[in-house]
Amino acid sequence: MENLSEVEILIIEDNQNDAEMALRALKQNKVTNKVLVVNDGEHALDYIFAKGKFAGRAKNALPKIILLDLKLPRIDGLQVLREIKNNPATKVIPVIMLTSSKEEKDIIQSYKLGVNSYIIKPVDFDKFVNAIRDLGMYWLLLNQHP
Amino acid sequence: MRQLLIADFVLKDSWVEKIQIREKTGLLIHPGMRNKIIYFLLLIFYTYPAQNVFSQNISGDTEYSYIKDKIVIASEPDYPPYCIVDDNGNADGFSVDLFKAAADAVGMEVDIKTGIWSTIRQDLAEGKVDALPLVGRTPEREELFDFTLPYISLHGAIFVRDGTRDINSLEDLKNKEILVMEGDNAEEFVRRNNISGKIFTTNTFKEAFHKLANGEHDAVIMQRVTGINLLDEMGLRSIEALNLQLPEFRQDFCFAVKKGDYILLNRLNEGLSIVIADGTYEEIRLKWFGPGVKEELTFRDILLIVVYIFVPMFVLMSVFWIIFLRRQVRSQTRVLNNEITERKEREAELRKLKEELEDQVADRTAELQEKVRKLDKSQKDLLNLVEDLNTLTAELKKERRKLELSNKELEAFSYSVSHDLRAPLRAINGFASFLSEDYSDKIDEEGKRYINTIRQNTAKMDQLISDMLNLSRITRAMINPGLVDMSEVAWSIYHEIASEEEKKVFNITIDKMRPAECDLSLIKQVWQNLIDNALKYSSKSEEKRILIGSESDTQEIVYYIKDSGAGFNEKYKDKLFGVFQRLHTENEFQGTGVGLAIVQRIVHRHGGKVWAESKINEGATFYFSLPRINPDLGKNKESLADIKSEDNDLHQ
Repeated sequence: MENLSEVEILIIEDNQNDAEMALRALKQNKVTNKVLVVNDGEHALDYIFAKGKFAGRAKNALPKIILLDLKLPRIDGLQVLREIKNNPATKVIPVIMLTSSKEEKDIIQSYKLGVNSYIIKPVDFDKFVNAIRDLGMYWLLLNQHP
Repeated sequence: MRQLLIADFVLKDSWVEKIQIREKTGLLIHPGMRNKIIYFLLLIFYTYPAQNVFSQNISGDTEYSYIKDKIVIASEPDYPPYCIVDDNGNADGFSVDLFKAAADAVGMEVDIKTGIWSTIRQDLAEGKVDALPLVGRTPEREELFDFTLPYISLHGAIFVRDGTRDINSLEDLKNKEILVMEGDNAEEFVRRNNISGKIFTTNTFKEAFHKLANGEHDAVIMQRVTGINLLDEMGLRSIEALNLQLPEFRQDFCFAVKKGDYILLNRLNEGLSIVIADGTYEEIRLKWFGPGVKEELTFRDILLIVVYIFVPMFVLMSVFWIIFLRRQVRSQTRVLNNEITERKEREAELRKLKEELEDQVADRTAELQEKVRKLDKSQKDLLNLVEDLNTLTAELKKERRKLELSNKELEAFSYSVSHDLRAPLRAINGFASFLSEDYSDKIDEEGKRYINTIRQNTAKMDQLISDMLNLSRITRAMINPGLVDMSEVAWSIYHEIASEEEKKVFNITIDKMRPAECDLSLIKQVWQNLIDNALKYSSKSEEKRILIGSESDTQEIVYYIKDSGAGFNEKYKDKLFGVFQRLHTENEFQGTGVGLAIVQRIVHRHGGKVWAESKINEGATFYFSLPRINPDLGKNKESLADIKSEDNDLHQ
């Protein structure tokens, strides 16, 4: 916890397998930045706004990128996105949404709330690695417009 | 003679003087009448012996003193209107008045007695009276009397009973019995002229008339005026005077004096002249004859005028008036007849019109009643229909609610499938990948094949899930219709999905096709699936040929894609378009069995049909039709617009 202030990538993902695969994909892409994984929306917000169990951390130390899973228990991904984007201090953080389908509804709603990009989590892990690779190097190129 | 002439002049002058004096005193005498009197007087002077005149003129002054200032005369009682007696028994009449006036003019008083003619005539002859006022001058009497100048001329007349027809001339009187008054100049006339052999005399005229009226004798002869007066006085209407002239019985009446009494004669002549000249005569004449005669004449005139002028005129006017009236009546009748005819015609017309109108009204009423009845029925039907419709609408709403509910459920399900089914697949695939990567040195080739099979199946599962979600999305997707160039779409799809190798070996023909009114993205999926199938099922055939084209009629456009591939058994064609239905094994041709289901759903949503013809190993032809004008598509426009606006927001 002492180096929480150095977290550069925040992954918000309730599925441990997905989270692990994401970390592996980052690793395979040589992304060595410090990564923090939280399992639900509540913890995510606590971290971002330095409250709850993350109350002690330096407020001004914000992650460089947030990977946000859409489907989360309790506070879902869209709600988390809304809070991030509604706060002047945090709305500059690029948020990449992770979703398992091309459900237009989710994507449209995400863009309305100010998401910066999204990645559809493919079943084929190799494709996921490729997607992360594209994101790490030049993440805007991964933007998949509907 | 010369002296006489001079005297005449003197006399004349003196007369003129007198007349002028009279005129000055205001009595009017007509100048013509004045001259007549003057000449008449001159004539009288000529007729008398000159010596008498002279002697009178010369010696008259002395002898006048001897003339009695009072004389006695006698008058008859019934010689009207000359000599009569009034109600008091005093003598009266024209002649009596004239005599008195003449006597008064020369300053004499007169005493008058009355008596019947024969008596008084005798009295004069014997000198018992001085004069008689009314004596007809006849030759017989001139022996006995001297006469003054005549003051009136009377004509005789024959009086007969009404209805007497056989007396038309004097000759007819020969055998008739004639009545005359004794001593009357009529008696003298009939005897002198020997009028009849049967002459009867009476004492008075009245007696003669009475006798005649009673049927005795045949005629009475007497002075006309006296007779008419008497008859009028007696009230006898049954006796009339014949219009027969008696030239021999014209009598000049004069005053008479005893033969030789010239002094009285002269004075009476003078007096008579004076009364004639000064108008007294006229006054007396008017007194006795004027009104009476005039009245009689006027009455006659009126009668004549009435009879001869007014009556015919009246009759004539009446005739004309009647003719005029008849003409008027006739023309009026004609007009009225015309009017009546016209009115009758009009009435008939009106009646006809009324009848027609009534008929029409009846017809219309019947029609209207029929219509009302039909309308009532229609209304009832309509109400029933509305009721049915309401029921149906309610049912539909219910169904639609159910459908919406199930749609939501389906959406939730799809969402769940895409997220929740994929997560384990990702994990299987991912960790299988970790296994082969991290433990490649510990796993032999067979183990690696197993791991690959796992990963392929996860991919397959992922594809199934995608297809299923796609199918679900197509079912719910809004249609955004537009005119689509089908040839262009087919070409672009072909170039997109066909590999370079396929493009080399395939003989593809895409005809110029009729454009369709449809949703571009959905119709792209149709062509994608069909062309993909054609390529796929031709892959093992020697002949690789694809023909794409269209046919159209007025209702719809039919697009087809013909290949020369594997084909299929037509007995299974019902299963062709079912979800996850496949007519070939996975080993023969890969696929999920969703493609044609998607094709069918899209075409159905466009109001079209899908079908296919084929024989095994002889290729297959897939057809889909689209309506030429697609009314169903418009319904979704609004909802499509919503999506569009959301898209716009998305892009911002």
